[in-house]
Amino acid sequence: MTHHHKTRTIAKDGQLLLQKMETDQVETVWDRHDAQQPQCGFCEMGVSCRICVMGPCRIDPFGEGPQQGVCGADADIIVARNLCRMIAAGAAAHSDHGRDLVDVLASVAENSAPGYEIRDTEKLCKVAAEYGIDTQGRQPAEVAGDLAYALQEEYGTRKKELSMAGRAPEKRRDLWRKLNIMPRGIDRETSEAMHRTHMGVDNGWQSLMLHSLRNALSDGWGGSMIATEVSDILFGTPKPTPTKVNTGVLKSDQVNVVVHGHNPVVSEMVMAAAQDPEMIQFAESRGAKGINLCGLCCTGNELLMRHGIPMAGNHLMTELVIATGAVDMMIVDYQCIMPSLGHVASCYHTEMISTSDKARFPGMQHMEFHPDNARKMAYDVVKRAVENYANRGSVYIPVESVDAVGGFSVEAVINALGGAPDPLLDALKAGKIRGAAGIVGCNNPKIKHDYGHVTLTKRLIENDILVLDTGCAAVANAKAGFKISDAISHAGPGLKEVCGSLGIPPVLHFGSCVDNVRILVLAAALADALGTDISDLPLAGAAPEWYSEKAVSIGAYVVASGIYTVLGPMPPIAGSMNVVDLLTRGLQGVVGATFAVEPDPEKAAGLIQSHIENQRGNLGLDVKNA
Amino acid sequence: MKQVIVHPERCVGCMQCMLACAAAHSKTGSLFTAIAETPKPRPRIHVGAGLYDEGFPNRCRHCDPAPCQMACLPGAIYRHSRTNTVLIDPDVCINCASCAMACPYGVIRYHADPLAPAGKTVAVKCDNCVARQHRGQIPACVEICKVGALTFEERDRAMKRRTEEVARSATADAAPPEQAPGFSLLHTVKKARTEINLAR
Amino acid sequence: MKHVIIGNGVAGLTAAETIRRMDPDSELTLISDETFLPYCRPMISHLLEGAVPAEKLPIRGKNVYAQNRIEPVLGARATTLDVDRRVVTTADGKTHAYDRLLLACGADPRQIDAQGRDLENIFFMRTVQQVRQMLAVLPEVGHALVLGGGLVGFKAAYSLLRRGIAVTMLIRSGYPLSMQVDETAGRMIQAVLQANGLTVRTGASVEAFEGNGRVRMAHLSDGTRVSCDMAVIGKGVFPAHGFVPADRIHTDAGILVDDNMQTSVSGVYAAGDIAEHMDIARQRSWVNAIWPEAVSQGRVAGMNMAGEIVSYRGSLSRNVIRVFDTDVMTAGRVSPRDIDETCRQFSARDLRRNIYRKLVFSDNILVGFAMINDIEQGGALTALIQSRRPVEVEPERLMEPGFNIGRLMAR
Repeated sequence: MTHHHKTRTIAKDGQLLLQKMETDQVETVWDRHDAQQPQCGFCEMGVSCRICVMGPCRIDPFGEGPQQGVCGADADIIVARNLCRMIAAGAAAHSDHGRDLVDVLASVAENSAPGYEIRDTEKLCKVAAEYGIDTQGRQPAEVAGDLAYALQEEYGTRKKELSMAGRAPEKRRDLWRKLNIMPRGIDRETSEAMHRTHMGVDNGWQSLMLHSLRNALSDGWGGSMIATEVSDILFGTPKPTPTKVNTGVLKSDQVNVVVHGHNPVVSEMVMAAAQDPEMIQFAESRGAKGINLCGLCCTGNELLMRHGIPMAGNHLMTELVIATGAVDMMIVDYQCIMPSLGHVASCYHTEMISTSDKARFPGMQHMEFHPDNARKMAYDVVKRAVENYANRGSVYIPVESVDAVGGFSVEAVINALGGAPDPLLDALKAGKIRGAAGIVGCNNPKIKHDYGHVTLTKRLIENDILVLDTGCAAVANAKAGFKISDAISHAGPGLKEVCGSLGIPPVLHFGSCVDNVRILVLAAALADALGTDISDLPLAGAAPEWYSEKAVSIGAYVVASGIYTVLGPMPPIAGSMNVVDLLTRGLQGVVGATFAVEPDPEKAAGLIQSHIENQRGNLGLDVKNA
Repeated sequence: MKQVIVHPERCVGCMQCMLACAAAHSKTGSLFTAIAETPKPRPRIHVGAGLYDEGFPNRCRHCDPAPCQMACLPGAIYRHSRTNTVLIDPDVCINCASCAMACPYGVIRYHADPLAPAGKTVAVKCDNCVARQHRGQIPACVEICKVGALTFEERDRAMKRRTEEVARSATADAAPPEQAPGFSLLHTVKKARTEINLAR
Repeated sequence: MKHVIIGNGVAGLTAAETIRRMDPDSELTLISDETFLPYCRPMISHLLEGAVPAEKLPIRGKNVYAQNRIEPVLGARATTLDVDRRVVTTADGKTHAYDRLLLACGADPRQIDAQGRDLENIFFMRTVQQVRQMLAVLPEVGHALVLGGGLVGFKAAYSLLRRGIAVTMLIRSGYPLSMQVDETAGRMIQAVLQANGLTVRTGASVEAFEGNGRVRMAHLSDGTRVSCDMAVIGKGVFPAHGFVPADRIHTDAGILVDDNMQTSVSGVYAAGDIAEHMDIARQRSWVNAIWPEAVSQGRVAGMNMAGEIVSYRGSLSRNVIRVFDTDVMTAGRVSPRDIDETCRQFSARDLRRNIYRKLVFSDNILVGFAMINDIEQGGALTALIQSRRPVEVEPERLMEPGFNIGRLMAR
């Protein structure tokens, strides 16, 4: 309906493109969300169970109808099992993404992945050392081979602890051991989660929740961390780089190639092909002024972080971007790629290419990328994109792009601080910066697009809380103009002073959603520097617009690592007040942090502020009353 | 006389009543076979989304006097007195939609129906499962509803129950324990979300 | 007690049945100039279209009069009314005394002033008899001219198009149904008809018909000509109260009635297309000549005549029409001529689903709407207008595809 665009998104380009799609009569994710209302309350509360075929079952939340599934599981068990499976799926997604990178690393070592190379040998050696691999006097390829082997082993290790969990502060590791939630093999925890939640296995809602935390930790301190570290080794560790964001990055006179998905394995090769002078010449021969590579979602974040490739939008923009009529090709790999995209593209001239053997989509051409053929495939698809330029109809690029700076890896932050975290710690101690918050996660049509991210970020930096963001949140904040050095004008006086003197924006782009582990590593470094645990720091996490299973896993590993986390949308747990209580209160006494649920970002900002001040008080630092 | 009584405050929006209703009004009577029938049986109860996207089970109230009956041009709508059910004769219906304009609840739909002459589009609405009742069964929507949003009982009894609940909550010394705290929590979140999204 | 009812339309019949139910012993006489059994007037266009056979039109069985112990006086038009002597005279000169009288004589089609008006194959479309005459000549008709883009003209044009006859419609205003809908909806409806073969001419009227016995050609006010072998005049109706003593019974457009459907003369009541009462949406006296109000008014008049004092809540103009695959529903104040600067208007259009919504509010009270397609929830909006209940939710939410009455109930 014509009046909807302003209640659906705060992004100007989003509003204008929604109007265009209405005129073009193309359905969007919001239309489908409307059509799904009301959504099933049993499922929203987590009390429907499809695990076995004695069922499906559901529990009456009013207490008069059935209170147990056929097997006898009550609401607590059903909610816990369902949540555990969500986390297992999220952890599996991140970890399998990491595995694909390790496979590339192994192929590079074997010299069977033309086009890929080791770009950061320093990080290669550092990570190799963590795995006890000798690096002295050895060729990078040799080290890479040993590291790839060790990392592959990490997925099915026989060791009692994941090696990268060793990066957590000692107190934290002791706690995990004590609770018996120290992550072991990456695949093992997911596999065990599926086992435990099978009918007739783990029917203790508390033990299910504890295993869920362990499974999530195997993602945060395992699969995701491997994904980030190996991406840095293969494609370079990010450094602050200027870039541009929103749909204004599309160019009306160039071949626009958009990469969408998560893994840099595909997008990096596409970038190489798109930047090849011969390919650019080919584009010029077809009447274009060049080839304009843009990103969407997290694979876009990967390119933005390392190369300053412009970013067209986040999750809820993926359909809308196509409606510009300016996208000659969209290349996808996996995760968060709406199966509707092929249909949307069929209404315009956009060619859709799927690239992963794991991920197929209706209405897309499947051109499978593997380490050995990726470079050739990348040239093939970009050539097709150029050829498709001639098929363009009318083009509508609704806005001008916005400037941003990305590329804040932990290494880059430490570098900006002059080589050690001390200036940041000093600013925290002095109270100029009250604390830091990681704002992460997706978009969700349940929340006005970008409103949650931008509102929360705005309120936090106003109150001198440094914001680190990733994923769709990072894109939202970049579009809002929070990621240029001038954005300190939005910050409170202390944060403004510190960021101003360091020449950094008050909101630091930390990367893609697997890159949340960069926040963990920084938090661990701060805790180590203070000789304390992460749960003692003035830190918080937030996922104001999350939607995916991956986000539940992230939230769970962040909380299990000791960071208080505020969720916008409520996970499907309301059917069990025991689980709700455990996650929002009980976990404090277990892992030193809890979840909170607050759909209103203004109120979420208040929660985070009081938490940070409270943490400051416990550390003996000055406390400001909100 | 027992009637179907709707308690919208209890609806969780699972839409199972819609499936059960469609299956009950199919030729074959079973969900798995009904979906292969032509015409496809359709539900006569409609779970819509309320103000905050909560479930709202909407179903013919069998009003007396019935505005649809008064508005019906060809006289296709009549009352089955034994079950106090307002029924539509598909042979007489001319699909003029006058009843759509008359029905204050918006519960009448227009489509081909397994129980109507083949190929004819007619007005279709809840028939209180008169056929099932004749066989000694309760209406299909009530049978499948596990949260008590649809009950089949004497209206007086339902009213009495409601009055007692209100009286209990009003006279208890301490605040009464929340009947379904999780469901209230879900509702609170949905309400907040809607209000935030609609704020300009 | 002797009751006389003039008119065997649905208002008169409903009143008669109500009286009989409540007062089994009274005398009941029903006078009508039509000789058919009481039938459903809105269905005569379905008869013309061929969607229903003539035998489906009667709304009651053959023995309706006997069953209700009604003395029918059929084929007799009332010509004079003496309210002092309480006597009605019919065209055949017979007199009918009453204690209580109901005027439910309906309305007559508005005549046009054109040369050649008396040629054959020029019709009104008001009675089943007129439609039967049209049906009789249809086999020889290839091109029909419809005068007027209001409801009657519109239904006539649609029915004839369904019969495969080429139709030209003359509309004085810019688009069809201009009394019922706004311009956007009107244009959408016009587009549907045009896609199905209708020719629309705006701003022209017929000055003369020409033909040799039967109409063959119409000369229009803009100097052009349209060949046609049939014409239907749909220029509106006026309440048939010509025989009523206007010095005694107060009339405006219709016969003015109070909340009990009683006229300014005690014992004389009016109901149906002839009666004028408060319009709920307009909040002023108005004739709403539509079937459901005729039923309601007949019922209220009957109860009051039988001694049970009940009130009528007022009338609301409303209509629902299906044309080809497009459904149109409208109620209350939607037409630009019914809207003033105090109204708040909202509209929404969904091109993908071909849906249009228009809502008109006076303060926060809904006073009108138009819907194109997906009209199932229209009754809920109609009821909202009739209730005059202030609407607390955002008007936009009433236009969403998922709208249902649950949206109007705060939990």
